[in-house]
Amino acid sequence: MSGTEFDTSVAHQARMYDYLLGGKDNYAADRAAIDAQLEIYPGLAFAALANRAFLGRAVRYLTAEAGMRQFLDIGTGIPTAGNTHQVAQEIAPQTRVVYVDYDPVVLAHARALLVSHEAGATDYIDADLRDTGRILAEAGELLDFSEPAAVTLVAILHAIPDSDDPYGIVARLMDAVPSGSYLAISHMGTGLIDRDTRRGLEAHSGRMMQQRLTARSREQVARFFDGMDLVPPGVVRVEEWRREPGADGGGGSALWGAVGRKR
Amino acid sequence: MVGFGDYRVEMALLCVWQYAFGCLVPARGRGVPVLGLEAVVTTVEPDGEQPFSGLDDAPVEATVLRMMLGGQLRRLREAAGITPDQAGFEIRASRSKISRLETGRVGLKSRDVKDLLALYGVTDERLLAKFLSLVRQSNTPDWWTKYSDILPGWFEAYLGFESAASTIRSFEIQFVPGLFQTEDYARAVTRLGRKAAPAGEIEERVRLRLSRQALHTRPAPPRIWSVMDEAVLRRGVGGAAVMRAQLQHLIESAAMPHVTLQVVPFSRGGHAAESGSFTVLRFEENDLPDVVYLEQLTGAIYLDQRPDVEQYLEVVDQVSGEALTPDATTDFIEQVASET
Repeated sequence: MSGTEFDTSVAHQARMYDYLLGGKDNYAADRAAIDAQLEIYPGLAFAALANRAFLGRAVRYLTAEAGMRQFLDIGTGIPTAGNTHQVAQEIAPQTRVVYVDYDPVVLAHARALLVSHEAGATDYIDADLRDTGRILAEAGELLDFSEPAAVTLVAILHAIPDSDDPYGIVARLMDAVPSGSYLAISHMGTGLIDRDTRRGLEAHSGRMMQQRLTARSREQVARFFDGMDLVPPGVVRVEEWRREPGADGGGGSALWGAVGRKR
Repeated sequence: MVGFGDYRVEMALLCVWQYAFGCLVPARGRGVPVLGLEAVVTTVEPDGEQPFSGLDDAPVEATVLRMMLGGQLRRLREAAGITPDQAGFEIRASRSKISRLETGRVGLKSRDVKDLLALYGVTDERLLAKFLSLVRQSNTPDWWTKYSDILPGWFEAYLGFESAASTIRSFEIQFVPGLFQTEDYARAVTRLGRKAAPAGEIEERVRLRLSRQALHTRPAPPRIWSVMDEAVLRRGVGGAAVMRAQLQHLIESAAMPHVTLQVVPFSRGGHAAESGSFTVLRFEENDLPDVVYLEQLTGAIYLDQRPDVEQYLEVVDQVSGEALTPDATTDFIEQVASET
C-alpha cells in the first residue's frame, strides 16, 4: 500500500467531506475540523453540496454530451449517492471508471463498494495524485488511453501546494490522453470569499488536517486548462457551471469549477 | 421543567412525527425554523382523517420507532436536568433499564412513559396522547416473538436492530455470519454449545436463524458487508461435506447485489481484529446512532456512544482495507472449497 497511514486522529479531507454531506463514515477529528472551519466559513456546508452537484452535472455532461466512456476520477472520496460510475453508467452502462484516492478509509469503502456488482467496469487505485506515473500505469489496465478519456480532479488540486508542482501533475495526466479528452476541475478559489476567511481556512488546514489547502485565483485555475478549450461558461463558481433551470444557486461557494476539452 | 414552548423539544418531536407519518406531513412543514406544536398536530391530522391512516402507506419499523422515542425520552430527561437514577426510581427500575429504554433496546410500556413524561414536565394533553399512540405503535409484535421461549432478551434486541438497519457490517473470526449460514452449518454451530439440548430446541433455533435470512429477499434489503478471517473458511464445522456446501453458499451469497463479502487471508497478518467478532449496525435515519453489537456466551454488549463506536468502525475499515477485494474473495473461497 502506498497510501497514507491508517490514522483517524488527524482530520482527512475525504472524511470531512463525508461529514459535510451527512454521511456517518467520519471520525471525531474530522468533525472537529469541520466544526472549526464552519466557524471561520459558514458557507462550507453549501460549498460541499454544490461541489457534489457540480461533479454530477459535469459527469452527466461528459457522458451524455461529450460522449466520454472512460473516466479517471482522482480524489474519489468516500462513496455516497451519485458516484461518478453511477451517474455515467446510468447514461452509458458500458462506461469504465477508475477511481484514485489515498485515504485508507476511502480505500476500504471503495474497494468493497465501488468495484463490485456493476454492469460497467470500475476499478480502484490506492495512490497519491502526485504519483502520476503509477496512476497512469495502473489505470491503463482498465482504460484504453488511445481513446479519449475524462480526467476529473474534483476538490483535490487545492490540496497540492505550489511546491509539489500542481501544473506539472495535470500536464502529465493530460499528456497521457489523446486529443478530444476532457478535464474537469473544482478548486478552492481566491476572490470568491473574503481574504481573512480564506487565510483562516488555509491556516486551519495547516494545523488540523492531513492536507494543506492552497486557494487559487480564477486565472490560476484557468492555467490548468492550457492548450485546451474551456466548455462554456468557462471558469465559474461550481454552482454556476451549467446550472440546471430552477436549481438553487444562491449560496456563493468558495469553489471554482470548469471543464475543458483537449485540442 | 420543560414547557412545550421549548423549541428543541418541538423540533425533536417533529422528527418523530415526520418519520412516523411519512408523506402525510406536507413539505411546507419542513424548513420552517420554529414550528409550533399546533401546526404539527394540524398538519398530521387533516380534517376527517384517522390520525394514523398514513402508516399503512409508510410502515414504520417498530425498532426504529422505539429508538426514536427512546432518543426523545433521553433528550427530554436531559433537558429537565434529571439523572438516569432519578428517572429509574420514578418507574421502579434501574438506571440500566433507563439506558435500554432510551436506546430502543427494550419495548416501551405506556405506564412507564406516562410517568417519565410527567417527571420531565410534559403536561400537554394532546402531546401526551400523541406520544402514547406512538408508543403503542412501537409495540407491534415482531416476527420473532413466536420464538420467545428460546430467545434471550439481549438477542431479541439484536433482531430488532438487524431488521431495521440499512447497513450491517461485521467482522467474523470464528463462524460464518448467521445471515449466510446454510441449514446444516447452522445446525452444527447450534449444537456446539448445547450438547444437552433436546432436538426440538435445536431445530427451533435453526429455524430462527434461517428466518433472519428473509432479509435477503425483502424489497429493499440492507447492505450487508461482512469481512471474515480465513479461519472462518478453514474451521471444519459439521464436517467436510457441510463445509463444502457452506463455502458454495457463501460464493452464491456474494453474488447478491446487496452483499459484499471479503476475506482476510492468513498471509495478510497483523490485521486489526484484536477485538474479536463484532457487528456494526447503521440506520438510514440521520439522527440514529450506529450500534455496535458484541456477542458473548451469556449476553451481549451494545455500544452506541460515538467514541466507542468509532473504535470499532476504525477496526472494520482497517480490516476491510486489508482484506481481499470482493472479486478476489470469491476466487479465494473457491480455492478453499477445493481443498476442503
